[in-house]
Amino acid sequence: MKKWIPIASGLATGLLAATVFFADFSPGDRNEAIAESSKNKTNAEKVYVPFGEKDEYYLFASGGHSGQMFIYGVPSMRHIRTVPVFSPDSATGYGFDKHSKEMMGGFTWGDLHHPAFSETNGDYDGKYMFATDVGNSRAAVMNLETFTVKDIIDVPNTSGPHCAAFVTENTEYMFLPTRFAVPIGREYAPLDDYSEKYRGVMSAVTFDEKKEKLNIAYQVALPPWSYDLSDAGKKVSKDWAVMTTYNTEEATTNLEFNASQADRDFIVLFNWKELEQMVKDGKYDEVTGQKMIFPEKHKGGMYLVPVAKSPHGVDVTPDGKHFIASGKLAPTMTVFSFEKAFKAIENKEFAGERNGIPIIKYESVMEKEVNPENALGPLHTQFDDQGMAYTTMFISSEIVKWDPKTGETLDRVPVQYSPGHSVAAEGDTVAPDGKYLIALNKIAKDSYLSVGPSHPESMQLIDLRGDKMEVIQSAPVNPEPHYAQMIKADKIKTITVYPKDEKNPDAVYSQEETRIERKGNEVHVYGIAMRSKFIFDAKAERPDQIEVKKGDKVFIHLTNIDFDQDITHGFAINGYDLNIEVQPGQTNTVEFTADKAGTYPIYCTNFCSALHQEMTGYFLVKP
Amino acid sequence: MAGKKLSILSSGLIAAAAALIAASLFFPWWGMEFFAPQYPEGLNIIVYPDKLEGEIDIVNGLNHYIGMKGFSEENFPELTYLKYLIGGLALLTLITAVLRRKKVLYFLIGLFSIGGLLGVWDLRRWLHDFGTDLSPTAPIKVDPFVPPIIGENTLANFITNSYLGTGSFLVLAAFILILIPLWKDR
Ligand SMILES: [Cu+2]
Repeated sequence: MKKWIPIASGLATGLLAATVFFADFSPGDRNEAIAESSKNKTNAEKVYVPFGEKDEYYLFASGGHSGQMFIYGVPSMRHIRTVPVFSPDSATGYGFDKHSKEMMGGFTWGDLHHPAFSETNGDYDGKYMFATDVGNSRAAVMNLETFTVKDIIDVPNTSGPHCAAFVTENTEYMFLPTRFAVPIGREYAPLDDYSEKYRGVMSAVTFDEKKEKLNIAYQVALPPWSYDLSDAGKKVSKDWAVMTTYNTEEATTNLEFNASQADRDFIVLFNWKELEQMVKDGKYDEVTGQKMIFPEKHKGGMYLVPVAKSPHGVDVTPDGKHFIASGKLAPTMTVFSFEKAFKAIENKEFAGERNGIPIIKYESVMEKEVNPENALGPLHTQFDDQGMAYTTMFISSEIVKWDPKTGETLDRVPVQYSPGHSVAAEGDTVAPDGKYLIALNKIAKDSYLSVGPSHPESMQLIDLRGDKMEVIQSAPVNPEPHYAQMIKADKIKTITVYPKDEKNPDAVYSQEETRIERKGNEVHVYGIAMRSKFIFDAKAERPDQIEVKKGDKVFIHLTNIDFDQDITHGFAINGYDLNIEVQPGQTNTVEFTADKAGTYPIYCTNFCSALHQEMTGYFLVKP
Repeated sequence: MAGKKLSILSSGLIAAAAALIAASLFFPWWGMEFFAPQYPEGLNIIVYPDKLEGEIDIVNGLNHYIGMKGFSEENFPELTYLKYLIGGLALLTLITAVLRRKKVLYFLIGLFSIGGLLGVWDLRRWLHDFGTDLSPTAPIKVDPFVPPIIGENTLANFITNSYLGTGSFLVLAAFILILIPLWKDR
């Protein structure tokens, strides 16, 4: 008798049945259970990330006029890294090595606004981060494998691309409209000629992922207004984008009053596919080397939507059907419908035009005006996974949660003074996560240890999971957290060491290949850094010495041959105002003229080993 | 004389042993893993009959502090010819399976044993050489040491673990297979 057959089959059946009936396959139930347990957690527990565990989200906060990007972990709100973008940074040697120095183009600061992730199908893909510089009219792209800036371009004809960057659904373009109107080419023109000669140029910037280069595809000569914020469409509205304007009065002085007179300003609604086609069809002028569309000459693709005066934010809902504008001076959020706008455009329901751009009738496109009681100064709107909207109220210092479908106010939570932007977890994508929202507070009460008259700015973390919004953490932040983007941590795939690049002529991967070559008055050093020494020329009596003559042009190519995590080396020449960094496996170049004769020690600035202090050499400049 | 011929089964076992020896060429034979607080995921030296794998450069970078010579394929001449020796052994084993002669089998077992002992001696020699011939100018002075062929060793904050690889086990299994006929066809 094969008795084991019934026994084994009985056991297997029992196990299967137990799995089917008792195992928890439903993620819904689990989420509910987590939400339930989080209710019972103290706020400290909700934000505590124990050692060995990592945060759930990265927060990329713009550093405003510091020119830097600040990276935080959420929910711990721990500051993880400062990435220099538009300002030099001696901590990382940024702005001193050849590549970053070239990218900086002689500028020493920038005003970093509105970071934006690259997107695929309207969702963050975790590959790149874009940012713009209001201070010196530039755009930058950061690679998220290394958290380093790869390219910076000047944006001509523009002054202060504040309302950028926002990227289209598949990162086809990012648009950079200007905050300050200037004459084309920034030529001289008296302010009396403002309406005729000044323009608020918008640039369509493309990004070549292979070469990691930004490029300007075309520009549009918009009226001389100020452009404030913008957002790209999604899904049904994916070919479209919206941006708010102020100073449609075209005032040239005392804007505080003069730009706040008209009852309505405009949202510029444009179809970038159509603009792209216009450029293909040659419907543009060649100006200052750019393909520029002048709306008064070449019609199409651009419309104006009247909006309550001096609006600030305009945000597209996750389903792409609506855009919501917030009136900074009129305490209203207005919900507009893309579908209504498309219909109005088709039926030509226009109420005149400005500078050749048709104005769509307000009633034809407006869906509802939302005005929560005593909520003042609505600025920016973010969304959660249910499609609910969260708007920051600058004047009444709170976040208001409301339903864009009904206009009903659902919840309100006060924050510590004057929030500017806010950011929800993936809150401007087609699929927001809900869970968390961070209010970026512009002016802070002194909530932290005092550091003198200028108080630290603050960010406040709001838990969206419960019935009521709740501020669960507050963190001081470097100036100025203007806008931020919050991305699920597992979407970012960083590398720990740079791969060998055998094709790089500047790289040397072994000690024997190190050498110093002289070509006329140029000295090229092909050296390595490793724990714990520099080798510039292995065959020399002193391999860690570089000797040049005064006036020589010196090129130091340094490869870090420690292919080991976090073994970053620095390279500084004492007294020569030089410091660069080479990350594991990386080759970096510093280029300078040896214009001071003398004896200058070289040392590794980035702590790398127990014998880091001994990682030195000499740079000798013969008079 | 017919009684001296090995049985078909024994011949099959020896043929299987030949296959295992040949297969062992494609697997690591020996390895060493280093753990330290800053390397919680461990650093590896993995030795194949014809190559080294693992984080050799990192291990060398660390070892230079105690004046240890660098590991590299050039430093081990064995790696250039070991695969031929093992291949040859596999071939001999196969021939033994075909010939089915006891004398040849005894010879093979003898060769196998001597080869194995030589291998162990060679490995031990290398470990001794690397661990005791430390540069006198090294920044960190440590007492000479010899890591075990199998087992744990501690040096500064590193715990090293030496172990036999799949290749060694395959060869051990092959050895057992060729021993079986001794008992089976006695
Ligand atoms: Cu170093």
